[in-house]
Amino acid sequence: MSAIAVDVDHVTKSFRMYHERNQSLKSAIMRGRTSIHEDFLALHDVSFQVPAGSTFGLIGSNGSGKSTLLKCLANIYYPNVGSITHYGKIAAMLEVGSGFHAELSGRENIFLNGSILGMSKKDVTRKLDEIIDFSGVEQFIDQPVKNYSSGMYVRLGFAIAINVDPDILVVDEVLAVGDAEFQEKCFKKFEDFKVAGKTVILVSHSMETVQAMCDHAAWLNHGHLEAVGEAEPTIKAYLGSLRSEA
Amino acid sequence: MNYLKEVWGSRELLFNLTSREVRGKYKRTIFGQLWSLANPLALMLIYTLVFGLLFKSNPLPGDPSGLNVFALWLLCGLLPWTFFSTVVSAGAGSLVDNANLIQKVSFSRIVLPFSTVGSAAYNWAFEMVVLLIAISIAGGFVLPWLPLIIVAMAILAVFAAGVGLLFSIANVYFRDTQYLLTILLQLWIYLTPIIYPVYRVSDASQTIGPFAGTPVTLLGLYELNPMVHFVALFRQLMYDNRWPDPAEWLICICWALATLGVGMLVFRRNEKGLAEAL
Repeated sequence: MSAIAVDVDHVTKSFRMYHERNQSLKSAIMRGRTSIHEDFLALHDVSFQVPAGSTFGLIGSNGSGKSTLLKCLANIYYPNVGSITHYGKIAAMLEVGSGFHAELSGRENIFLNGSILGMSKKDVTRKLDEIIDFSGVEQFIDQPVKNYSSGMYVRLGFAIAINVDPDILVVDEVLAVGDAEFQEKCFKKFEDFKVAGKTVILVSHSMETVQAMCDHAAWLNHGHLEAVGEAEPTIKAYLGSLRSEA
Repeated sequence: MNYLKEVWGSRELLFNLTSREVRGKYKRTIFGQLWSLANPLALMLIYTLVFGLLFKSNPLPGDPSGLNVFALWLLCGLLPWTFFSTVVSAGAGSLVDNANLIQKVSFSRIVLPFSTVGSAAYNWAFEMVVLLIAISIAGGFVLPWLPLIIVAMAILAVFAAGVGLLFSIANVYFRDTQYLLTILLQLWIYLTPIIYPVYRVSDASQTIGPFAGTPVTLLGLYELNPMVHFVALFRQLMYDNRWPDPAEWLICICWALATLGVGMLVFRRNEKGLAEAL
């Protein structure tokens, strides 16, 4: 358990808050600048390590920087200062079904979406049955996805994403999709991940979920890292802080 | 070099995104792929009526092919142009249109503008095949030139990709770009010898003479437009059926490589900030 899956090293991420954003050439030329802005620190000098094989929860209130951190982990945002090092293949599930083409069939979209998520055609072909089976939409797999119900759409997207088979899986609060049965399946899949020695990083507002699934957790508050470590005490500290505020 | 390797590594994704666009485009239409011929045919009819019959544009007959059909002469320039303008305008929108994907998934972003080149090239190839058949029926001896035509198409695709990359980034920061681009492309088509032959410009240039004592001539300025050379390449290969001037090849290749180089450099610089900027 001493191996590290992800090393977050003094990460600071700021966003520009625009008081005036000139996305037009006219104003840029007339005023000789493109914008007036001030920096907003979404993450402030955050450092922690995610042990390999753990299920790691990111908790915190709204606006605490969880999603920003998640996007940094997923290589979508890049930190201004500091670095994030991954040891192993990483896949992020920030939204399911991104890049689906509504007019194409479910099967075609599996190949398309799979390759967006970094799977080769061979991988997808090999896992096709598993993906279709997991999604539970076999009956409609050759129908255009625009005819899918929102639940089917999300289930198919999730089934593809979970079959990317990364060493590190980063998941946003997409768990709250599908019916109870499908959620059960998802939890089961996460369990399998854990058994296979893979790392899962999870963001959730639901403390029950985090408590049930995670063995480690990090608590973010207004961009600062408040606590990190075993899940139990971290969650307690977070809940405690909420109570004392209230 | 690492960057090139990364781009090469995403070729499968590029292929998939391209086929997404190709297959998605004409879904649920009765005529399907035939629609890609409709636009050039309509333009051909209009231009042939207006510039072939009303205002005589009078291109020289093909030398040595002997072809003298305005519509075919027009299409030899018009099809490469429509390809170019489609790539540039679709490329300019490619990042903004896929903003959602860029903000949610990490992948090599350059495949988005490149996939517009792929899908436009697919349509273009289809149109060119039809044109080549038409030229052959009209008596042009065009088939032996086919390999060189394909090379020329590839060079133009490289050039268009470079321009598309530059505009795709510009459009992220200034959304005016797409509207400006529409006007620019309209202007550009008239600055290129597509509906009129290039000798008209050299005649005018001779009449005017060099500008105010400088060696700069109208034709000299005119030839700064790279599309002039690309159109010349296609006309000489397809309409005249002769080996193009080596200088034209060289100019086209230089433009293509330089534009793609600059485009990729600019793209790479801005790639990491895209998710935030969009």
